[in-house]
Amino acid sequence: MDREKIVEKYDVVIIGGGASGLTAGIYCGRARLNTLVLEESLVGGIATNTWEIENYPGFPESISGTGLMNLFYQQAKKFGVKFKLTNVKNVDFSGDVKIVETFRNRYEAKAVIICNGSKPRLTNAENEQQYIGKGIAFCATCDAASCTGEEVLVIGSGDAAIEEGMFLTKFASKVKVSIIHDEGIMDCNAIAKSAALANPKMEFLHNTVVERFEGGEEMNRVILKNLKTGALVPVDCFRCFLFIGYIPNTSLYKGIIDMSGKGYILTNENMETNVHGVFAAGDVREKFLRQVATCVGDAATAGVMAEKYIAESEIFENIIMNGNGIAYIYDASDAEHREFLEEIEKLEAEYDEYCCHKVDTYKSQGLAKRLCKTGHCPSVVIIKNGKIVKVIDEEHLSKKNIEENL
Amino acid sequence: MSKEVVLDCLGEACPIPLVKSEKAIEKMAVGDVLVVQVDHSCAMKNVPEWARKQGYEVEVEEVDDGEWEIIIEKTK
Repeated sequence: MDREKIVEKYDVVIIGGGASGLTAGIYCGRARLNTLVLEESLVGGIATNTWEIENYPGFPESISGTGLMNLFYQQAKKFGVKFKLTNVKNVDFSGDVKIVETFRNRYEAKAVIICNGSKPRLTNAENEQQYIGKGIAFCATCDAASCTGEEVLVIGSGDAAIEEGMFLTKFASKVKVSIIHDEGIMDCNAIAKSAALANPKMEFLHNTVVERFEGGEEMNRVILKNLKTGALVPVDCFRCFLFIGYIPNTSLYKGIIDMSGKGYILTNENMETNVHGVFAAGDVREKFLRQVATCVGDAATAGVMAEKYIAESEIFENIIMNGNGIAYIYDASDAEHREFLEEIEKLEAEYDEYCCHKVDTYKSQGLAKRLCKTGHCPSVVIIKNGKIVKVIDEEHLSKKNIEENL
Repeated sequence: MSKEVVLDCLGEACPIPLVKSEKAIEKMAVGDVLVVQVDHSCAMKNVPEWARKQGYEVEVEEVDDGEWEIIIEKTK
């Protein structure tokens, strides 16, 4: 049954078509990189679960999550980004060519940006799927204002549930909180707990879980079940917020990409993962705030870093590692480093068969790290016939020492 | 050898593409691929939704502005 997979080559493959994936697409497309976005179902991601986005700058009249994501999508398409709606089956990031496989294709990319996001944990109660985005919400920051003067229900008692619940009390007339634990027990931190208990707008329904969601076109009632008595407790509410945790969509990368204990991808501030050429952006990252606005920032960085990485790869392979060379790794902002440039220039004049490369680390460490593991500067790397034969560190750096190794 | 069947549903509104897809895949063998061409955005949603529910592999590609190819592999 295994058919031959169709191989397609791209500069960048972006996995995930939510706010991050679309933004990364915009940046890569605009940098004229041949870019593919792979999205499992429909573009827009989790932001499309939100009716109204009121805190995304540039839209003072607010905009629906779907509306905003459609604009992102149009913008990415304008820059020639290609989209395929299918899920990724397998990845192989071990080589310089990054491989991403779907059931039909094998995509070969120079760089990959992981934008899989995370999904809210669901209650799995009756009618839940039907009312997601139609009464069931996942983000108080996003949807609180639309709840002004209304009664809402919050499910959960962790930090997110209680803190977001308190935030909701600024808008809603009443915030009921369904908590699975016994009276007095909440999963949140102690400060949040005491503040919540003192909040007159909050009411706690202990020992309860969701049995079913009810309503017409939109949800308007949640039936809770008391775990101790078995009694059903109907709660009329305008919105029901689920704060029972998020699950990052990272199972594909287990054992390949470094993650936090909860499965979020670890990156540095340049969105680089532990694997060269693989970046991560947005909700899938281990970070503090998960919003469209923070996704956009992450993805802009990831897009630019991917572009830089590809450009550096080309310089590295086609210029530096081509024939014989002397690569001087230095920091152009350092006067002493600049001084030694003269010696390098002398060598360049004296040794015709060697090509001199001045690798400035001031803006990017990328090339330096490819030449020597530490990327430490100043240092000189000697290349013969496309192979690194010697790394001379700061301590041993002299014209004489370089010449001895030529 | 598995085969690929192209189903032209261009110009056809819901639920015709879905009904045609269901009928077409019935006649196909496991491992075969059905490519449904649609230009109604509702078919671009309900055909993949149905196919995924069946447990088939699905890929959707916008081949032209407002024109999609839904690629379905009959996996069982």
